[in-house]
Amino acid sequence: MQETIFSYVDTAPPCAPENSTLKGLTVAVQPNLSVRGWPTRAGSRALEGFTAIEDATVVARLRLAGATIKGATHMSELGLGLTGGTEAEVLKNDDADIVIITDTMGESRVSACAAGVFGFKPSYGIVSRFGLIGLIPSMEGCGVLAKNLADISRVIGVIAGNDNRDLSMPEFGSELELPDFSHAFEAKEPARSCGVIRQCLETMEKDEKSAFEAAISTLAKRGIKPIEVSLEDFDMVRTVHNIIGAVEASSSAGKYDSVRYGHRATGSKNWNEMYLNSRAESFGMPVKSYLFQGAYFQHENYNAFVDASRIRRRLSAAMEQALANADFLILPTLRKSIDPFKAGTVNEIYDSFPWTPIANITGHPAITLPGMITCEDIDLGMQLIGPRFKDATMLSTAAQLKENT
Amino acid sequence: MAYEAVIGLEIHAQLNCTSKMFCDCPNRPGDDPNTNICPICLWMPGAVPMFSMEVLEKAILACLGLNCKVQPQSAFDQKVYYYPDLPKGFQLSQHHMPLAKGGYVEIVDENKKPLRLSLHHVHMEEDVAKLVHETEGRVPISLVDFNRAGTPLIEIVTEPCMRNPHDAMEFLKTLRREIRYTGSADCSMEQGTMRCDANISLRPEGSDALNTKVEIKNMNSIHHVGDAIAYEVKRQTESLNKGEPIVLHTRLWNPEKRITTAMRAKAEGPCVPDPVVPQIVVTDEWLKKIAARLPEMSSRKIARFVTQYGLMHDEAVQMSSEIELSEYFEAVVKNIPSPRTASSWISTQLSPAMKERGYDFKDLPVTPAQFSGLINMLEKNEINSNSARAVLTKLFETSQTPEAIVEQLGFRQVSDTDALESIVKQVIEKNPSAVENYKNGNKKSMGFLIGQSMNLSKGKANPKRLQEIFKEKLI
Repeated sequence: MQETIFSYVDTAPPCAPENSTLKGLTVAVQPNLSVRGWPTRAGSRALEGFTAIEDATVVARLRLAGATIKGATHMSELGLGLTGGTEAEVLKNDDADIVIITDTMGESRVSACAAGVFGFKPSYGIVSRFGLIGLIPSMEGCGVLAKNLADISRVIGVIAGNDNRDLSMPEFGSELELPDFSHAFEAKEPARSCGVIRQCLETMEKDEKSAFEAAISTLAKRGIKPIEVSLEDFDMVRTVHNIIGAVEASSSAGKYDSVRYGHRATGSKNWNEMYLNSRAESFGMPVKSYLFQGAYFQHENYNAFVDASRIRRRLSAAMEQALANADFLILPTLRKSIDPFKAGTVNEIYDSFPWTPIANITGHPAITLPGMITCEDIDLGMQLIGPRFKDATMLSTAAQLKENT
Repeated sequence: MAYEAVIGLEIHAQLNCTSKMFCDCPNRPGDDPNTNICPICLWMPGAVPMFSMEVLEKAILACLGLNCKVQPQSAFDQKVYYYPDLPKGFQLSQHHMPLAKGGYVEIVDENKKPLRLSLHHVHMEEDVAKLVHETEGRVPISLVDFNRAGTPLIEIVTEPCMRNPHDAMEFLKTLRREIRYTGSADCSMEQGTMRCDANISLRPEGSDALNTKVEIKNMNSIHHVGDAIAYEVKRQTESLNKGEPIVLHTRLWNPEKRITTAMRAKAEGPCVPDPVVPQIVVTDEWLKKIAARLPEMSSRKIARFVTQYGLMHDEAVQMSSEIELSEYFEAVVKNIPSPRTASSWISTQLSPAMKERGYDFKDLPVTPAQFSGLINMLEKNEINSNSARAVLTKLFETSQTPEAIVEQLGFRQVSDTDALESIVKQVIEKNPSAVENYKNGNKKSMGFLIGQSMNLSKGKANPKRLQEIFKEKLI
């Protein structure tokens, strides 16, 4: 396996118990998902030399089910965007069957789309975030990349479910059922309608739009009726994500002080200088700007944060409403002309995630299917967003759409 | 111009829970440095905070004890600031949606009138790590002890409703008593389990204005709070009289010099909602269950002791100062006709004797039955006060009844009239000059005569009866 793709390769031999569900399945993770004893830098000098103390819940469950965690990829700094990441390369190169990738604003879906594979972001709260070194706690979660839906389904079936070490998860039980992924491909009620967000159409380039509409009419011919839905605040998605994301990131990254781990600048006269110099030398430009934005909204423009939080609630309610009228929502995943791996500023990062952050803001499950919307040889990705906690239904819908093509 | 002080207090009380607020580490900040720590309270990458139900229950108990309205929904915020005692860059506290609002504490003011002091709100908060500053040779070093990081606090914020040091000190005493009654916190300012900051401003008497305030920190006892407020009121009055404006800042109380000094301004950080710790929902049903665990609170108990046992208000306060003491008192007075004597003897004899021997009411070897037996004998004049004190000393060492001890030591008081009359007769015969003096109007001579009689009886004579007999004989 290549060093250019993996930042760390586990040399321990696989030791799956007989008859385990995921026996033989190989998994790559990002170096922000804790695997005990592994270097866990999360793509940042701020975590230089940090070794995970415990397995993340996701890692522990995968191993218990017999999967082999082969190694860790390279990743963008603290998972913001995809610049410098090699997650999807792993699949292109056949180095593993599955990649677990943190989805903060659409990273799992956009990277999958770019690599021509499936990328799934589960409902917020369905998969434990214990052991995930993240940046935006209220929006991020483990996404799953794979070449086929069956593998995604098997993996999510193993990693989803109650974990008392992550309190942001709801209590799944009799009142709120955990999706049953074992029957994900036996849809009793096939999807009959898809919601097309009017305001989303307005954001597309002309050729992107015609490719998207062509895909929708193909679905319509196969019995899935397009329904126009309206999300009044759709044009605010980027702003809302940016403000809330930056504020949470600023707090989350507050712990990187170079005292117990991470890069420490030399020559500082006191602790305050040491913090400032070390952080200045540790963070790259996009993260630095993002944290600065967050500090600005915390200290100088808190009202903007309050407004963003209010619009976020409104968006969630509007999504629920839209999903009451349609079985799922349909959007493209990737812009035709923007390379998400080359984004060098916060604005460029957001530019390369035009249609995915909505599901991070509202916590809905979303998946991108390859080869369904093509525009001038570029796969725009067909992104489905389903009702919250109906992740299994959404996977079965995805299978239904793929079968028909 | 005559000024009136406007005083508000902010009190931090450490909840006496077994574990910290967001992890399972023991809530024992005083252990060897950095022994009660884990990835969560060290805020290591990948750790996710949990939340202790015990903390929530004890915080709610304290709020209910202070008559607060516990909110059906409350949430944690991040108080953002960067300092080595807080390596994650924010303190988890409740700012926008506190656990409880309102509430009050009732005190007796300087004019002996009841006064209700209102609370603004009560919220939960994690404590931060402790910094220890030392030197290694000539190099100053700072050490961080994380045992305290994440230990549970409640912060009680009053309205600016106090006007003088007396109010503030009485408030703190009452608050401490009520919270101790709920069993949720120990509230010792000396041991640092209760800390108090005071906000003080002045205004012309009769005005309703809320002027620029000054915050005072570093008071380590209730008396310090009173002294610091008194000093600060004087200092601000002098400033205003000199025409100097009051500037918003923080001052430290210096207990040695008994003055306050300005400290470097600390930037007040913003408060943003925490995205990880879930919102706290308190249902009515659950709140009722917790409320059912509250004991009779001390304010009610004081009123009851006054009506039920005929205690004076101050005595009732004394007998209610701790829940264990109040229970002891009630157990003692169950079988005796004179609760006030019991109250007085608990305050002036038993409590000092306990302190001297290092006991508190939880491990006191003198049982209520023994003590009430002692008070009974005293009340019935079977023994005198001196003998009673000696018996009390014995009771700390033995489980015998006080009656048995009195018999052994021969303390039983002689009240028999014939016996006493014979003593009186002897004393009158032996001390003609004192008798003469008494008859000539020198009342002090009676004391001498009784003293002589007591000596003669080896301390067992009932002095009250002696005096009656002397008076009869010497008319």
